[in-house]
Amino acid sequence: MLVLTRKPGEGIVIGDDIKITFIETKGAGIRIGIEAPADKKIYRQEIYDRICLENREASQWNLADLDMLTSAMVKKESL
Amino acid sequence: MKKTIMTRFGEVEFDPNDTVRFVEGLVGFENLRDFIVMPNKKNGPLFWIQSVEDPEIAFVLTDPTNFFLDYKVIPNDRERSKLGIEKDDECHALAVVTVPADRKVTLNLMAPILFAPATNRAIQVVLENSQYKTRHPLPA
Repeated sequence: MLVLTRKPGEGIVIGDDIKITFIETKGAGIRIGIEAPADKKIYRQEIYDRICLENREASQWNLADLDMLTSAMVKKESL
Repeated sequence: MKKTIMTRFGEVEFDPNDTVRFVEGLVGFENLRDFIVMPNKKNGPLFWIQSVEDPEIAFVLTDPTNFFLDYKVIPNDRERSKLGIEKDDECHALAVVTVPADRKVTLNLMAPILFAPATNRAIQVVLENSQYKTRHPLPA
């Protein structure tokens, strides 16, 4: 990993279309400004990780589960 | 021209023109772009999508308004452009269903899938600043 030291107000340019500015430190946090093309997705790391994990888990079902759940739901609706 | 692939659920025949294209993949599965929509043999709110590229990967989806009546996601400009649709075009929000070992099903309302029927394209979006979570239990 590339590690750089920046002061508030200074920035980093990545490629020719992403600009990151370190705005200020605030308590234990650091405020960051990001300029990137509108089609670039930007996530907080922990949220990205959570969605990633959830998608992985969601891909681990089997057909018996689906059958059973569907039956349970159809039964409920017809009551 | 129909094609067949071998999935972990057996052989699946599909028409390559009918697949849904995830233009950015799903979060964590960015390289899987084409999915087959599998009809559910029993009537019910759940259906599944099978990856064309990876036979191991399939997701169960549902229309969350079956369970959460007021759930609504409106695509922004970036999302509409990815889906290839205009402002008033039809766009459905679908939720990924997780079936944990205890079979207590949850819906991922934080990261819904937006599907545009006009273009057969889909994207997964993340609603970061909402009250929605990745694991909403079905209402009792």
